[in-house]
Amino acid sequence: MKSMRKGLPRLALVSAVVLAATLAFAASTPRYLHVRVTNLTTHEVVRVNLPLTLAEKIIPAINHGKLRDGKVQIGNFSADGVNVRAILDALKTAPEGEFVTVEDHGDNVRVAKEHGQMVVHVIDKKSNQNVDVTIPWEVAQALVSETSDDQLNLEAAVKALENVGDTTLVRVSGQDNVRVWVDSRNTEE
Amino acid sequence: MIFLAKLGIGVVGAALVGGAALSSEGFMQVQVHEKHAGGTNLNLFLPAALVPTTLRFVPKRHLAEAAENLRPYLPIVNTAIPAVEECPDGLMVEVVDSQDHVRISKRGGSLEVDVSDTDEVVHVSVPLRAAQSAIHQIAEAN
Repeated sequence: MKSMRKGLPRLALVSAVVLAATLAFAASTPRYLHVRVTNLTTHEVVRVNLPLTLAEKIIPAINHGKLRDGKVQIGNFSADGVNVRAILDALKTAPEGEFVTVEDHGDNVRVAKEHGQMVVHVIDKKSNQNVDVTIPWEVAQALVSETSDDQLNLEAAVKALENVGDTTLVRVSGQDNVRVWVDSRNTEE
Repeated sequence: MIFLAKLGIGVVGAALVGGAALSSEGFMQVQVHEKHAGGTNLNLFLPAALVPTTLRFVPKRHLAEAAENLRPYLPIVNTAIPAVEECPDGLMVEVVDSQDHVRISKRGGSLEVDVSDTDEVVHVSVPLRAAQSAIHQIAEAN
C-alpha cells in the first residue's frame, strides 16, 4: 500500500509529461487540407496538399470577385428573417438523427446529425453521383460567424478546421471521384 | 611585392563579396531534357539575384502589359510567398493523366515545378524570395 502511494505521484508526473508532450506535438504539427480528384474514364488524377496555415494567411489577402476579406459571397442563399446562427445553435444541442429527407425524381437529399457533425448526403440520380459532405459543428458555426445574409466566412472556417481531428469533409463518387479531407500528413499516402 | 599582395587580396575580396551578393537569394535551376534522339539537354544554374537585376535593363514598354496585369495581385503575392516560405517542405500539387505528369512542390526556400510529358522532361526550381523580387520589378515597370 505504501509503495503504491509512493508510486502514484511518479505516475501522475509521467502522465503529465506525456500529456504535455502530446499537446505540444499536436500544437506544432501542421494540419493539411487534401483534395484528390480522379476521373475513371480519362485516368486523370489531381492531388492537392496545402497546409491550413497557408490557406489561413492567403484567404484574407484575396479581394477578388466573390471572395473579400476572408468571406465568400454566395448566391441563392437567402436568410431573410431567419437567424442562421440560432438554427445552428439549436441543431448543436439537438439529439443525433435525421433532420431533413427529400426524395424526388432527380435527387435524394438527407441532412442529419451524426457523431456531433452535420452530414449532408445527396444522390443525384441523373448524373449517377453520390455526394457526402461532413461538417464538424465548430466549422459550420465558423462558416456563418460575423457574416451577413449571403456570406460564408471561409477564414474562420479554415481556422476552425485547425482544431478538428482528422476528418473527410467531402466525398463525391461517380464519374469523377472527389475527396476533400484534413489531417496532419503532408502527403496523402 | 606588398602592392601585388594587397591588389590580390582586393581582387579576391571583391570576388567573394560579389559571389556572396549573387548567391544571396539562392540559385535558380532549369533542366530540360527532350526525349527524342538528338534532343536538347539543358541544365542551367543561375544566381537568382540576377533575375531582378536583369529585369532593370529590360525596356519598360516590354513589361507594361505584364505590370498592369500583375499589380492587382501584388497584395496576394506579398502574403502568399512568405506564407509558402514558412510552410514545411512537401508536394503541394500533382496532376497525372495518360500523357503528362506535373508536380509542384516546396523544397527549402524554393518552389519546384516538374513537368514530364511524352516529348520532354522539365524541372524548374525558383527561390521564392527571388520570385517575389522579380514580380515586384515587373509590377513596378511603367
